[in-house]
Amino acid sequence: MGRVVVASVGYTKVGDHWDKSILDLAVEASKKALKPYPNIKPDVIIVGNMFSSKSSRQEHLGALLASALNLVGTPAFKVEAACAAGGVAFNIGYRMVRSGEAASALVVGVEKMRDLDTPEVSLALSMADSAEYTQFIGASFLALNAMLARLYQETYNVTRDELSAFPVIAHQNATTAEHAQFRKAISVEDVSRSPLVSDPLRLLDCAPIGDGAAAVLLTSDKLLDGEENRVEVLSSKISTNIFSVYEREDMLTFSATKDAASKAFSEAGVGVEDVDVLEIHDAFSVTAALSVEAMGFSKQGEGAKDAAAGVYSLKGRYPALTFGGLKGRGNPVGATGLYQIAELWLQLKGRGGLNQVEGCRIGVAQNIGGVDTTSVVTVLAKR
Amino acid sequence: MSEVAISYWRMRARYYRLLGNKCSSCGSEYYPPVYICRRCGSESLVDFEMPNTGQIVTYTILREVMAGFEGQQPLVLGIIRLDNGVKIVGQIVDTPPEALQIGSKVKMVFRKIREEGEAGQIYYGYKFITL
Repeated sequence: MGRVVVASVGYTKVGDHWDKSILDLAVEASKKALKPYPNIKPDVIIVGNMFSSKSSRQEHLGALLASALNLVGTPAFKVEAACAAGGVAFNIGYRMVRSGEAASALVVGVEKMRDLDTPEVSLALSMADSAEYTQFIGASFLALNAMLARLYQETYNVTRDELSAFPVIAHQNATTAEHAQFRKAISVEDVSRSPLVSDPLRLLDCAPIGDGAAAVLLTSDKLLDGEENRVEVLSSKISTNIFSVYEREDMLTFSATKDAASKAFSEAGVGVEDVDVLEIHDAFSVTAALSVEAMGFSKQGEGAKDAAAGVYSLKGRYPALTFGGLKGRGNPVGATGLYQIAELWLQLKGRGGLNQVEGCRIGVAQNIGGVDTTSVVTVLAKR
Repeated sequence: MSEVAISYWRMRARYYRLLGNKCSSCGSEYYPPVYICRRCGSESLVDFEMPNTGQIVTYTILREVMAGFEGQQPLVLGIIRLDNGVKIVGQIVDTPPEALQIGSKVKMVFRKIREEGEAGQIYYGYKFITL
């Protein structure tokens, strides 16, 4: 099996794109990713998206994008796995290129969220969990994560300020990230003073609603012969958990993430200690904490405490959320997994600007759908 | 025209009587019901009513509700461990939020979940009250 390179990336700013449609956004990101290699025509186009049918009354995004890019004839399709759609789309593209089935793949994540009002976005996101047993009784995705946050704080004696550490890190890094939705620093006091939306979670514990698209061009290394300073995919693994969090005996272990990370690290031949830069799925403060614990960067119950101690800050042991993460950069759900890959690419290429993690060689992205119901862990390396 | 009238009708016993299922081989009980026993892999499962009392494992007061629940905020939601050990999620009603505690005993009650306007479908199901 061949080596797979992330040749180039493209993305839009995350935020309110009132004047752009879901297709406008996908095309903008795709053109940016394709531009550096005008001679590469992707063998396949894969679109990661969660709820275009609800936000835009549009499905069939693969052929829609292929046609818009003047790439008619190219196999193209949408992949959906709730908020992990982008990561899963990337995984499929990677596997197709690695197997030799495709010499190149354009993988695009896109989500249009702001055309819907907040209760409708909340309903759309609730479709990541059971329609019959969770959505029916009014338990939104926010509510599920809030209940998890209370359990996490109670079980491990995690304080309000410790829980706030991940959002504070995210916003700090977003201040210098041009594509971030919120380029504004916040303090732990700001988090504690922000309105309760589903206690104990406050507004600043939660990733915002925004529009955006991110794309990557994956190629076999043979297509890029002679090119120095490549970003190579070492591994990408998907795992799944028991569907709803309340059906699990141990609700505080993200076992899909644990399983995907363990397999991805093993295949890449890297250990936790080798990781230089980390993009985690911080949809909520508690999600970030449980994610670093599941991957082994922190001990169980110590993720938020480690964040408060600086472990995940830009200059810390494991720099995370280096362009703001879901909380600061934004979380256009189906695109999120590809923003993570694009940001790791910037880091490993040394193009991180003020957000650069010096000397980084190994980057890890973790993208989840639902409450760790689907998890994708990808390892990239500078070669 | 109701969006989900048929799917709701299909679920009536699940919602009205907490009808889950039970593995005929190893006795494991489930709500929501499962197709294959998670513990022993058996596909021989029979419908089985859950006990109607349990304890609060965790809870939240949701202030920003999703579409369909407008006007009902705040919603108190909890993960309840029923007396047979099965955990389910449900609304907790008739209890002042400040009286909620992890470990509080609760009992299932039959209530209206939501309605689709004055002439629309009314959805009923389970909620919990503290004891």
